[in-house]
Amino acid sequence: MKDYKYILRLTLTLLLITAVVAGLLGLVNYLTEDRIDALTREKTEKAMQEVLPAARYEQLETDKDGVTAAYRADDKGYVVLVNVNGFGGAIDMAVGVGADGRVCGVSIISHAETASLGANCVREDFRAQYIGADGALAVRKDGGTIDALTGATVTSRAVTRGVNLALEFVKEVGG
Amino acid sequence: MNFKKQLKEGLLTNNPVLSQLLGMCSTMAITTTLFNGLGMGLSVTIILICSNVVISALRRLIPDKIRIAAYIVVIAGFVTMVDLLLKAYVPTLSDSLGVFIPLIVVNCIILGRAEAFASKNGVLASAVDGLTQGVGYTAALVVMCIIREFLGSGTFGKGVLGADGVRILPEQFPALLVILPVGGFLTLGCLIALTQWVNRRLAEKEREKEAVK
Repeated sequence: MKDYKYILRLTLTLLLITAVVAGLLGLVNYLTEDRIDALTREKTEKAMQEVLPAARYEQLETDKDGVTAAYRADDKGYVVLVNVNGFGGAIDMAVGVGADGRVCGVSIISHAETASLGANCVREDFRAQYIGADGALAVRKDGGTIDALTGATVTSRAVTRGVNLALEFVKEVGG
Repeated sequence: MNFKKQLKEGLLTNNPVLSQLLGMCSTMAITTTLFNGLGMGLSVTIILICSNVVISALRRLIPDKIRIAAYIVVIAGFVTMVDLLLKAYVPTLSDSLGVFIPLIVVNCIILGRAEAFASKNGVLASAVDGLTQGVGYTAALVVMCIIREFLGSGTFGKGVLGADGVRILPEQFPALLVILPVGGFLTLGCLIALTQWVNRRLAEKEREKEAVK
């Protein structure tokens, strides 16, 4: 009988603590949710305007692996949001592809690459290498034209893969 | 109140990073710029104070058998709250610390202090312990950040004093090695050696004082 009571006490104590914490978390989540959403949207929109400025973005359907969203930017071309695996985790980026099928801009929305190494992928001179490309790209180490950021080329390969994904997607929708 | 003693423990003789060797993962990974170090240190300090206070207040209510589970729930709750708040109000910091904020849940410093101190001491003492241990952690991180940022990027105060900080060494001079995990281990090793040396000196002085008495 005593055992039974003790086990019940353990369970109820833990249940109570978990319930209180869960309630508080719900509250904090409720208070911050809108703001976090707005910030994410703002960041994405800024990146889209940067790679291919347009007055209106019309969302397209996508089920391609790695492509998180795609938009038709007026009649100037497409903006494709892609998600690729870098060295430190996922890299979210926006790629603008003009009506001529060439890349017109690349912007890194979020990444977790190593400071001073892969994190340099946000630099203008690295991203500018992709502008004007229309075919399958590769870093120089793989026989391509992209100057990698570091010798290990993990981040550079990831970004290149992202740009290729965007180009493939645009070809598929017949851009 | 033993605030002075606790502060000395937190900073030197019982420093969470340099003496207890806890929280190594975040110490290695994020100490590349001053901004990261300060942000991480502050986040951990806040979470440490909160969890110490709550755990100390509940210490008589939580049965021994489920204490670890209960501590982890409390800690995870605070960490997630801080994570959400940072995402909403300090997005630059949450971007640059990334996954290391949620990982504070499994940072041994927090659970270690809950188990070693908060579960045996009063609320006020536990709050002070959270503060002093947090300050010790922050101090260790900041020192590592300053060394690694200086040798690895050649700058000071990246993110705190402007986006690129103040350049001290010319761009071609810094050794990238220091920014990489290798550099983290080397820097940490030197700092631990230094702390041990200082601690030994302090202990010797104390003993001399006792002898004179």
